[in-house]
Amino acid sequence: MSMFDYDARPVTPLLVLVGDTASRDAYAIRDFLSRNGYPFEWVDAGRPDAVRAVMGVTDLDLSALPLCILPDGSRLSAATVAQVAAGLGMVAAPARPEYDLMIAGAGPAGLAAAVNAASEGLRTVMVEAVAPGGQAGTTSMIENYLGFPNGISGSELATRAVVQARRFGAELLLARPLTGVRSDGPGYVAELADGTLIRGRAVLFASGVEWRRLDVPGVDDLLGAGVYYGAGPSEALACTDSQVVVVGGGNSAGQAVVRFSRYAKQVTLLIRGRDLGASMSQYLIDQVSAIPNAEVREQTQVVGLEADDRLRAVIVRSGDAAEPVRLPADALFICIGGAPRTDGAAGTGLVTNTAGYLVTGSDAAREPGSNWPLPREPLPLETNLPGVFAAGDVRCGSVKRCSAAIGEGSMAVALVHRRLAEAGGD
Amino acid sequence: MVASPDAAVAAEFTGLASDERIANTAAALERNGIRPLLAATAADARRLVSSLLPDGAEVYNNTSQTLESIGVADDIERSGRYQPLRLRLYRMDREMQQREMRTLAASPDYVVGSVHALTEGGSLLIASASGSQLGPLVSGAGQVILIIGAQKIVPDVAAGMRRIYEYCYPLEDARARRAYGVPSGVNNILIINKAVAPGRVTAIIVNERLGF
Repeated sequence: MSMFDYDARPVTPLLVLVGDTASRDAYAIRDFLSRNGYPFEWVDAGRPDAVRAVMGVTDLDLSALPLCILPDGSRLSAATVAQVAAGLGMVAAPARPEYDLMIAGAGPAGLAAAVNAASEGLRTVMVEAVAPGGQAGTTSMIENYLGFPNGISGSELATRAVVQARRFGAELLLARPLTGVRSDGPGYVAELADGTLIRGRAVLFASGVEWRRLDVPGVDDLLGAGVYYGAGPSEALACTDSQVVVVGGGNSAGQAVVRFSRYAKQVTLLIRGRDLGASMSQYLIDQVSAIPNAEVREQTQVVGLEADDRLRAVIVRSGDAAEPVRLPADALFICIGGAPRTDGAAGTGLVTNTAGYLVTGSDAAREPGSNWPLPREPLPLETNLPGVFAAGDVRCGSVKRCSAAIGEGSMAVALVHRRLAEAGGD
Repeated sequence: MVASPDAAVAAEFTGLASDERIANTAAALERNGIRPLLAATAADARRLVSSLLPDGAEVYNNTSQTLESIGVADDIERSGRYQPLRLRLYRMDREMQQREMRTLAASPDYVVGSVHALTEGGSLLIASASGSQLGPLVSGAGQVILIIGAQKIVPDVAAGMRRIYEYCYPLEDARARRAYGVPSGVNNILIINKAVAPGRVTAIIVNERLGF
């Protein structure tokens, strides 16, 4: 590490996480901390020197892993994400008994809505299960977002947006998934996984999508042990000199290739389609094509995995090839498609399309099971429940781009105002 | 390895300035456009810094024995009141976010640090091996807050340079070898004689030996 690196290092004690590199629980904590921008030191339990340097001993109680040493010196054995979040003071209670707008999800759409809503005087709260930024927050560089000619990393965009939203008084409740929303008079009550209740006069679902599961035997067993959903921002350094495979044809997959190619020996991108043009932005296609240690394999799918305690190879089949091919792989990042994240909407009566995306606007009133109650049609981003809106990737028909999500989140606020005025007491 | 400062050098550069010298130095700073504040103790200095930093401010705390010893580094990085830039920089991807790191480090809203020497004529001397912390002090940062133990007051710039080379450098070299595993070096020296932007630089002179 250079002296400049030390100038960029906190002088107060860092959180230390000790664990097995193949541990799913350890990965979950690394991912949580990275995505929340919380600096930490990772210690591989399989490296005695590193363990001794931090703990003063080399023998570890394996049942205590992952072990988290908080900055105040306290220790969490067999730590979970929830415990780490609580230990860091990241689990806050809502400050108000009622909000004008409750936003499910703090990705680009949710953050944009929060900034605009709070800046216009609405009592605003965001609830976010993992970390601000959503899928965009894990992207190493967004180069086509307005106003950033040199690009901006997803993490920086998220960090700035959170600061901005908080500056206007919006709250962010982290680390607890939304488990349900029910109507309560003219408004709604949302419940979080820890039982926290939040009252909102209006609700915005900006919960985005989660990565589609790769239907290959063994994937679930290897999660965190070489197999990761998403672009794995916490794993870049660990991929130094590694063989990395990325699956997916969208911008997130492309950015993952760009990022990991800086660290890995070789990055192989697998896409099912004939070329990258179907879903990847041209500037990213150009970048990926120019990377000397990156290779794109078209019409290729993962058909199997080879592993011992962690991933060792990915078995792929291309086009009409009769025989599968074995690709040595230390890490596999799965960035395919997206399934709308609507867990908190279950049981609310919200209508979705067949793929599970929330239907909004005039379509929402016409969907089977809609029960739209008002003489007017739903507003453009409004669902079939008056005062419940959707924006960004979770919404049926949205353009799946960061810029579009931000636009919808911003736009939703004007519609929230109209609804609040209609319901009385805007 | 650089030899530790000998007893004579240590005696010359560790003695606390008298109240009169402190007052004269403060007056000189003021003439030079640098706002002087006086703190009787380290704890007072810490409270002063807290009163000068608004909640939510973007703050970079320079690498400084003074800041660490009096708890200001802790306040900045862990109180939750500010946006501590060291924490933000540390978790950035050095391959993909180089430009963002440079921009962030170069122009914080507030930089808090110390100096290696403060002359009775109101000049500030700061040495740096990497130089990365000097740009914000000169012009990049919106506001500069310096906490200066009164043992750092010297007669003039020449004495300040001697303080850097003969006293601070050996101590800093030893610290760098322990902390980084590499030697330090008087690679860059910044001398601030006057602050042109009114109200930008604040120097808190503390009547205690703080730092090197």
